[in-house]
Amino acid sequence: MTAFLRVMGAVAGKDLRTELRSREMLPSLAQFVILALLIANFGFDVGQAGPGVIAPGVLWLALVFAGLVAFGRTFAAERDQSSLESLLLTPASRAAIFLGKALAAAILLLACEVVLVPGLALFFGTPIASPTLVGALALATVGMAALGCLFAALAAQTRARELLLPVLALPLWIPFVVVGGRAVQIAMGAQGAGGPALGLLLDFDILFVVVASLAARFVLDD
Amino acid sequence: MTRPLSIAAALATLAMAGAGAMIFLYAPRDALEGEPQRIFYLHVSAAIAAYVAFALVLAGGVVYLWSESAAADRLARVSAEVGLLFTTITLVMGSLWAKPIWGAYWTWDARLTSTLVLWMMYAAYLLVRRIAAPGRQAARFAAVVGIIAFIDVPIVHFSVDWWRTQHPQSVINAPGGPALPPEMLVTFAVTALAVLLLTGVLIAVRYRIEALREQVAGLVEEAEAA
Repeated sequence: MTAFLRVMGAVAGKDLRTELRSREMLPSLAQFVILALLIANFGFDVGQAGPGVIAPGVLWLALVFAGLVAFGRTFAAERDQSSLESLLLTPASRAAIFLGKALAAAILLLACEVVLVPGLALFFGTPIASPTLVGALALATVGMAALGCLFAALAAQTRARELLLPVLALPLWIPFVVVGGRAVQIAMGAQGAGGPALGLLLDFDILFVVVASLAARFVLDD
Repeated sequence: MTRPLSIAAALATLAMAGAGAMIFLYAPRDALEGEPQRIFYLHVSAAIAAYVAFALVLAGGVVYLWSESAAADRLARVSAEVGLLFTTITLVMGSLWAKPIWGAYWTWDARLTSTLVLWMMYAAYLLVRRIAAPGRQAARFAAVVGIIAFIDVPIVHFSVDWWRTQHPQSVINAPGGPALPPEMLVTFAVTALAVLLLTGVLIAVRYRIEALREQVAGLVEEAEAA
């Protein structure tokens, strides 16, 4: 078990160190979400609907597409450098390698949310520090990273990988968007009760992290 | 086609024609919904057929990951195609039924949303089969997608249901409610059986085509090697 966690930490550390040295992904992702806010501001009739009505949808759209970019890169970079094979040649468990990479990707997306949420607050006047909002985003990010990285690993080994990831990941993320979306709507002042959204998101996380790490063995095969 | 398969296909054709006759001639006109209610028989039967087909995709995928059996993978692949066909029929007929009864082609309730997601996931499944390298990679990746898709669909259904109960309800007139009169029940049973028979025949025919195609590909390879 400790060996498993050590491998996971080492892989995650490697990915985060690469990002820290190259500084490619985070600036692009930050720019991407700010641009998404800009487009939303002019695409929607904000004055008519009120920013609080539109903001949750804008948040999830920006987050989901930023997630596709972030998760797509995690395995695409390994393939471009042909470093995935050497990683898989080590006797480390496939699940540990996979979870390490998913952890690093989740941390990157969380860092992107640190730009997105204040940006949304700035441009749309929504709250930043609501615990429901922060909790829903963090929990959704974990499950989305598990599924997203599994299918990014799968897509990276095929041709036309950019095509495959959105088609696979987006439908599977729907439960997170449905439940997390409702939690964010409540946090941003919608009517009605939020209910146990955070508990549900945690359940989804546990389920999909377990399922994805079991499936990783079959996806990270050759 | 082999002889038993031809007989089964002929039976399925007859059964479908019989079900059609019962739907329009034997089943009574619905007191509340009128003629559009006749969509019910084929709509629900197609949904059942789709679930059966996707259960075969799941089973084929699990067996393939377990034993790398080419037959299990072939079964999963052809079942996904047939399942997608019946999901399309379910969605289209459901929309046609919803328009006169609910007043809109579409509402975002749990069943509709999860059926749409179901459709998209198995469309993605077939896309994976097309894009991945044929053979072992395509089979493995597709098996993983097929298994996770099957897990995800009930969760989508449950999420939207949860969301609905947390959300002020828009006006959705859920159909059904009263138990069906016996004539309707018999018509439905006949239609469902006919559609299931048709599903089985379609899967068997597609399976045979794929098996023959693989056999031919193997022979060509052998000839080229010689």
